[in-house]
Amino acid sequence: MSRLISVKRAHGPSIEGEVLVMREGFSPRYDLDRISGVISRIGHSVEGESIFNKILVIPTVKGGVAGGWAFFDLLYKKISPKALIFGKLNPVMVQGAVLAGLTVTEGWSEDLLSILKNGDHLRVDSEKKKLFIF
Amino acid sequence: MLRGDHGVAVKESIEFQIEVGNFFEAKEFVPITNAHVMGDIEVMGDGGLGLLETMASSGAKCKVPTSSNARCMHFGDFDNLRADEAEVKKERKLIGYLKDMNIAPTDTCINYQTVYQPKLGEHVAWGDTGTVIYANSVLGARTNYEGGKASFAAALTGRTPAYGFHLDDCRKGTFLVNVDTDLDDFADWGALGKIVGHPHQDYFAVPVFNGIKEVPFSDSLKHLGASLASYGSLAMFHMVGITPEARTLAEAFKGDEPQETMTVKKADIDAIYSAYKYKDGASNIVVFSGPQLSLFEIQTLANLFKGRKVHKGMAAVITTNHAVYSDALRLGYVAELESAGVQILQGVCFYILQRLSEIRKENDWTNLISNSGKIVNTITAHRFNTILRRTADCVDIACTGVLK
Repeated sequence: MSRLISVKRAHGPSIEGEVLVMREGFSPRYDLDRISGVISRIGHSVEGESIFNKILVIPTVKGGVAGGWAFFDLLYKKISPKALIFGKLNPVMVQGAVLAGLTVTEGWSEDLLSILKNGDHLRVDSEKKKLFIF
Repeated sequence: MLRGDHGVAVKESIEFQIEVGNFFEAKEFVPITNAHVMGDIEVMGDGGLGLLETMASSGAKCKVPTSSNARCMHFGDFDNLRADEAEVKKERKLIGYLKDMNIAPTDTCINYQTVYQPKLGEHVAWGDTGTVIYANSVLGARTNYEGGKASFAAALTGRTPAYGFHLDDCRKGTFLVNVDTDLDDFADWGALGKIVGHPHQDYFAVPVFNGIKEVPFSDSLKHLGASLASYGSLAMFHMVGITPEARTLAEAFKGDEPQETMTVKKADIDAIYSAYKYKDGASNIVVFSGPQLSLFEIQTLANLFKGRKVHKGMAAVITTNHAVYSDALRLGYVAELESAGVQILQGVCFYILQRLSEIRKENDWTNLISNSGKIVNTITAHRFNTILRRTADCVDIACTGVLK
């Protein structure tokens, strides 16, 4: 059965895919090996997981201006995620997503961390500011 | 600009800014007086380099004075910290593009101490978190985090979308931090930033510090701000009686009540230090970086390292910008530090060094000890075991090899 979640803000194309759910803040510089696309920070909730082609569900951000270029770089290296679904974000994540043409959203009507697990399927409708969980 | 009358780079920049501004529901642009761009080959990669080449080759020039952030390699001859040759060539090319666009490659994350100090209420567009939080908080200037293309776009259009910390409403304090302890070292200020920032990962949260007993040094506020920005992604703080928009507690909150109140005591600071645990390793490194060091920080280290030697199995590294390095050289601090075996890198910050994971493995470094609350957080993707210690302890560790 599908479930519908509203987001506060959204930008980018509507897309569908598999989620990787982070249980803590994220920075592409602090947490990610940007050569392999694998989360490399020791002890991160998804350490060892690849972000490639995933819809990243991220509660908060850490840092950092690196995201301004990093998502474009990941796209160029063909290891980019599909979308960034933030609880709270900073402008850099939006600036980075806009540059890379990635879908980005902010704010959840329900706590996605208690609803989603890694591998679940999600559709993001940016225009309607809705997330459909399958 | 949208019609392309100012060239294609400006057209694409303003389009980009409108997209970002629309996300945050900005109603207008504000003119800026200064931009600070972040771009190095480690973070922007070949894709970003290509984009910059396109901008520069179109003849685009900055509309406001613009400086550049710390970069990812030291163009010197430290074999243990070497960058890839191919990437060195790209980085030099990148610096050439900056110059073509009339950007001053100052290569610094302490522009607010050495390059430009905007005034109260002045709008700027700065692309480094530590610079942003210092500008908003200590100088009373107004900027958001302007990462990647955003800072270049602002430099080329001379404006930025009016949202976030450009607006009065965002600059109100949101929670109160009573500081019931002395803060005697830059590492203590970084620890305070971790205690407050880590549980408040919210760009729009603004802590108000109350109870600071002595007027802090610029370097103390630098370490606090860098740490808050790193752990919490925070872009502004107030300090009652110290920062310009917080002459009183009431002014800091602009009539609102704090959403939360927390108190930080000496035991909380001590607990931060004791939570860091060493791992077994024959080789370790002590780093003074993140943000780059001011002249006074280098002077202090020159005094602490005087007559001592970095111990076998240890490395000690300082990073600063070209301006501070030149003065430190003239004043004899560089000679003092180098004779102790300290390596001084110019125009870089340690945690953004190109191929840093490989450098760590090649040197077999396990523990990274620093007095920077920021760097012990930011460097972790490279799998260092990080340890926060006070400045004099860092020097002792470097010179004795005893991991205390």
